[in-house]
Amino acid sequence: MNRRHVLIPAGALLAIVVGFLVWGGLTDNVVYYLTPSEAVDQRAGQEPGYRFRLGGLVEADWLRGTDDGVEFVVGDGAVSIDVVHTGAVPQLFRPGIGVVVEGAWEGDTFRSDTLLINHDEQYRAVDGEGTYQVPTAGP
Amino acid sequence: MSPATRSSTCRRPDTMTRETATLHPRSRAITSTGVAALCLMATGLYMAATAPDEETQGEAARLLFVHVPSAITAYIALGAGLVTAVWYLIRRSPAADLVSAAAIEVGVLFTAITLLTGMIWGRFVWGVWWDWGDARMVSTAVLFFFYLGYLALRRSISDPRVRAVRCAVLGIVGFVQVPIVHYSVLWFRTLHQGPSIIRPDLANSTMDAAFVAPLGAALAAFIAILAYLVAVRVRLARLEAAVDRAASTSQPVGASVGPPSGLSV
Repeated sequence: MNRRHVLIPAGALLAIVVGFLVWGGLTDNVVYYLTPSEAVDQRAGQEPGYRFRLGGLVEADWLRGTDDGVEFVVGDGAVSIDVVHTGAVPQLFRPGIGVVVEGAWEGDTFRSDTLLINHDEQYRAVDGEGTYQVPTAGP
Repeated sequence: MSPATRSSTCRRPDTMTRETATLHPRSRAITSTGVAALCLMATGLYMAATAPDEETQGEAARLLFVHVPSAITAYIALGAGLVTAVWYLIRRSPAADLVSAAAIEVGVLFTAITLLTGMIWGRFVWGVWWDWGDARMVSTAVLFFFYLGYLALRRSISDPRVRAVRCAVLGIVGFVQVPIVHYSVLWFRTLHQGPSIIRPDLANSTMDAAFVAPLGAALAAFIAILAYLVAVRVRLARLEAAVDRAASTSQPVGASVGPPSGLSV
């Protein structure tokens, strides 16, 4: 056993811990997504066109498919934000499901170009309702 | 007796033969573990195939029966690697070193399976293969590459004792990442969902019973596969070590014994 035997693994351990702390610190400030409440709160401090991820539940009462995407409302129970999404719509998109959209404010709507489903930890056996289709015409 | 001292010890042919015989065990234990793993795998596959569709995820939910058991099995393998590495450092038993390395190597395999099935599931459900902003995904990738580094380190040191000590320390240090990976979904806001069964409020499982039984069967199968692969890998490592010893004793410089005549691998 010489010093290298201790130094190499100690360095590796340090690298892991520091790496996770730095990365954790980064994600703490630049969180993976903002909730609608946080997005509205932090809006004043953001530069125009600031891109961020917005995460919440697709509200059930209004949703409309467009030629190149979908328009819907994302909420967290307290605050609701209109989202205009342009781009691919994942298969699982439907009212009530969790989503993460990436984009920026445009007026009071959130303009998104990336739409991800944020599926929760629920596993329910199917009850034979069939596949959900995004409605093409809305109110 | 460590490999290094053994290689410089003069052995009589009958000891060599006996040692060679133990290197080729027609081990019933390994074979029956393999058969048991195959049976459990068939059962798990059948139960996974006949489980009901999931309400929102549809068929993609079936990846649960591969993804989750392989992740848990990877944890178990890396945990076994940790325990045997500690055992090595305390007792300096070459066998503990070989078992530790075998367990970690198989753990890397299961981590890879976890990453791949997770990516496929993510493409179906989230809409993306990968997201570098997600704590679960990033920490699992870091874990995977760390243990790949472990395997690379094993190949880069030829002295069995030096290798065993360094790898034992690395195997112990690396395990720190397992709880980080496991709790990442609770500590950070992630795209990856939180735990369905092993959750802080254990009583409130969010998984229908129809999925729990196939998941348990698949987990049993994966653990049996782990046991089988580690046993086979340890045996292979013993053969490798014998070849190395034979090679080192046949070198004229510093060799105190004759050629390993009795050793055929």
